[in-house]
Amino acid sequence: MSKAIPAGNALDGANYLSHTKGFLSWAFTLDHKRIGVMYLISVLTAFFFGGMAALAVRLELFSPGTQFMGQDTYNKMFTLHVALMVLLVIIPSVPAAMGNFILPIMLGAKDVAFPKLNLMSYWLWIFGALFFVISLITGGLDTGWTFYTPYSIDIDSASAGHRFGGVLPALTGAFILGFSSIFTGLNFIVTIHRLRPPGMTWFRMPLFLWAIYATAIIQVMATPVLGITLALLAVERVFGIGIFNPALGGDPVLYQHFFWFYSHPAVYIMILPGMGIISELISVHSHKHIFGYKFIAFSSVAIAIFGFLVWGHHMFTSGQSPLMNIVFSAITFSVSIPSAIKIFNWIATMYKGSISLNTPMLYALSFLFIFSIGGLTGLHLGTLATDIHLHDTYFVVAHFHYVMMGSAIVAMVGGLHHWWPKITGRMYNEFQGRIACGLVFFGFNLTFFPQFYLGSKGMPRRYHDYSEALMSADKLELFHTLHQVSTIGSYIQAIGFFLTLYYLLYSLKWGRKAPANPWGGRSLEWQCTSPPPFDNFSEAPTVGDCYDFSVLEWDEEDQSYTWQADAHESGGESSGH
Amino acid sequence: MMIPSLLTMLLATTGDLKVGQFGMPVQASEVAPVIDNIFNFITWICIFFFVIIVGFIVFFMFKYSKPPGTPATSNVTHNTPIEVAWTVLPLILVIFIFYKGMDGYIDLRSAPLGAYEVNVVAQKWNWTFHYKNGATTSVLIVPANRPVKLIMSSQDVLHALFIPDFRVKQDVVPGRITTLWFTAIKAGEYDLYCAEYCGQQHSTMLTKVIVLDDADFDTRITEEANYIDKIPPDMLYVAGPRLYMRCKSCHSLDGSDMTGPTWQGLWDRTVDGEQVFTDGTTLSNLMGAGKLFDGPEDYVTQSINNPQQKIRMNYSGSMPTFKGQLGPLEVMAIIDFLKHLDKFDTDGNPLDSADDLATILDAAKAAEAASSNE
Ligand code: HEC
Ligand SMILES: [Cu+2]
Ligand SMILES: [Cu+2]
Repeated sequence: MSKAIPAGNALDGANYLSHTKGFLSWAFTLDHKRIGVMYLISVLTAFFFGGMAALAVRLELFSPGTQFMGQDTYNKMFTLHVALMVLLVIIPSVPAAMGNFILPIMLGAKDVAFPKLNLMSYWLWIFGALFFVISLITGGLDTGWTFYTPYSIDIDSASAGHRFGGVLPALTGAFILGFSSIFTGLNFIVTIHRLRPPGMTWFRMPLFLWAIYATAIIQVMATPVLGITLALLAVERVFGIGIFNPALGGDPVLYQHFFWFYSHPAVYIMILPGMGIISELISVHSHKHIFGYKFIAFSSVAIAIFGFLVWGHHMFTSGQSPLMNIVFSAITFSVSIPSAIKIFNWIATMYKGSISLNTPMLYALSFLFIFSIGGLTGLHLGTLATDIHLHDTYFVVAHFHYVMMGSAIVAMVGGLHHWWPKITGRMYNEFQGRIACGLVFFGFNLTFFPQFYLGSKGMPRRYHDYSEALMSADKLELFHTLHQVSTIGSYIQAIGFFLTLYYLLYSLKWGRKAPANPWGGRSLEWQCTSPPPFDNFSEAPTVGDCYDFSVLEWDEEDQSYTWQADAHESGGESSGH
Repeated sequence: MMIPSLLTMLLATTGDLKVGQFGMPVQASEVAPVIDNIFNFITWICIFFFVIIVGFIVFFMFKYSKPPGTPATSNVTHNTPIEVAWTVLPLILVIFIFYKGMDGYIDLRSAPLGAYEVNVVAQKWNWTFHYKNGATTSVLIVPANRPVKLIMSSQDVLHALFIPDFRVKQDVVPGRITTLWFTAIKAGEYDLYCAEYCGQQHSTMLTKVIVLDDADFDTRITEEANYIDKIPPDMLYVAGPRLYMRCKSCHSLDGSDMTGPTWQGLWDRTVDGEQVFTDGTTLSNLMGAGKLFDGPEDYVTQSINNPQQKIRMNYSGSMPTFKGQLGPLEVMAIIDFLKHLDKFDTDGNPLDSADDLATILDAAKAAEAASSNE
């Protein structure tokens, strides 16, 4: 471990961490970096509990029959897992945690456009999370995150008899989290429009910002629909007025339309920012100009737009009209194209690059592998004839874990490693990082690949048991083995994540001090010190082509990249905007 | 313990995974091979692209892995013809996949005229199948090689009827009628699952599809329709276990409390009028000539046909009505069963083989055959 303080490390000087001290200086901070860090800690905490619930679910499924959880507990456990992971982790993870920290710096701005709104988003997140805790102690939630009616409005069954407990606080929590998400999106849209420095035209923005921008549009446009839907559901549950309950003249399929009108676009709220991270990771760690910048940028926007038109593909068996199914299937396939374009462009970026297989890059490569599988198996599900068989089986479970967990979370963790030196001013242990990445990658595939097979063989999802008494022997035997493999995989993943937790925490105190630019990034955050000063830039940064890495030179002693002595001119000038 | 089971899985898969048959279950309906062809076609496309993508990733990853500081050897930023090509080619491919999927789907949806119709009622957490001749069963019995159309409704929440071996699935939606059709091609027994989450016992909402050849089917369905008439009137309770199948998700026989009150001791409690209701009234005050209930038999009958009328204290009103689903004789059989619970174990199996429904029906059949031969 080199002891000298590398150039650009600000741990001993002024930085955003040392700027002010004390709990209140964090709780009421308007600094986007601190808000980002608070989000990060909160989201990772939720990830820990969501992961624990997942491990419990997997353990229960290890063998037929009841292992250690009864039906009711199991139903609450898988709901807890998904509610935490979707609403509290994946949706805010990259935009709110990572985006908050990185976005203004990438733009060369001192903060987001509305710092107070930003702080409010964070506290709304905390209140939303609090309501989930209330839900947990007042009967628990057992509806799945989809809150499908009429089950969710049946007070006698869902959250057994608790009119104001269980479901209702969870709805309120999701409603509040929705506002947190809307405000974050709004903030980012305005920031990107208004706070770009001179010289940074739209097509000079890092692709991460394009992805966040596209995401923010969905957040602002789709989330209100969720809010209204959940509010109607709450009203129906408390007053029984008959919006979605057929017994009172309502329509449960209408609920599904409302729900997916938000929740399908929400899938892109979850994955687009991850894709943005991958564009950065691949180009920086390949030290090569991103290939097809405009195609990648436009494909993000295309995904955001098409994403609004395909919600009906979650409802092929719901009883909606066959013509609707055909239309939705057709539009669904149109979303696959922009995703495919991105993959091809990322791979082309690696071509003739100078690739460093650092932990962030390994996560990016894992992403490519996993997202390919997740995307390609989407073809089976978008296709009407095959989706009828696969819908609501483990095939779908495997598919969306490949996209949500294997892609969105893996991208997030990759980004976390990439920006860790910037956020904390410390380097983590690279060797342990690679081992952990390997464990997560291997464990992930071991967990979820068998589930494709489980699903195509017919194992339905959200089953507490694959019963010895009720299933035919040949199916039962196969299901048993596949579930066992899957459970073992999930524990290997858990080891990987715990190792990550360990070396990241370790690095906070004992890690090598990070230089300003350990990976050779060209976007503006790498021009700040690590960690950045309170106001990000003391002088206006030079904006250039953020994917032109030829101006950077490796400094062996500092383990850092620095500007080539003669390179400054190539960056600065531009035509403005 | 893991290693052997992993091995058996590998063996099982190699035996099972014929080339181009990516782990779909048995093909037991006419439409199954059509669906599987589409599935396999898509899977091959996936494998093709996956191999290309991962091949390039792995190749580039090793070939271009360099120590830090090595400059990239190329700085191309884009190549429009290539990018247009890899946009348009996949587009053509997915249009084709969409078309095949739509085509297969139209087959799945268009039931031929004259299909044999079965009415399906789903409720937490069991299935009931009603046939034209009045028979009611808890397993689905269908003829082979004849189109069958299921006309489905739900009593409570969403369910979905899923027969993996037939490749069919359809949600069962309260307040609507949904339909599903298939032609089974092989006599045999197949799994039927509920695929839409419906609460506590979703994972036990399973039953079987029994496919019979035409002649067998006709006899079986006739037997199912009038089995209750074949039981000697003083032994009606033997039909109890069969009827109890439809109640057992909420009522136990062993004294344990479930969604509904246990049936153990229910009859004695009813005779004594011990039940207390949510409105504070007690059964003994409501029972007798001219009162709400004529007597214990009437109380049970009304509990089955109109469960919302009086709801027991500490229970919810979640019992669905069975009015129109259970005939008068069947309700009498349930009452008789409640009176004779001592003849059954806590799973509802008869303790004495003389009380076994199948044995009694077989005997009745044999007697009938003997008399028609005379
Ligand atoms: C979905 C759950 C459910 C199912 C299925 C169900 N019941 Fe019930 N049943 C209940 C509940 C809850 C109660 C108590 C509330 C009430 O009094 O209505 C009850 C009460 C009863 C009572 C009155 C018991 C008493 O102690 O007074 C009878 C008799 C009864 N059920 C018969 C049946 C029969 C026969 C079936 C099947 C054909 C059946 N139930 C199916 C939930 C169910
Ligand atoms: Cu979707
Ligand atoms: Cu179900």
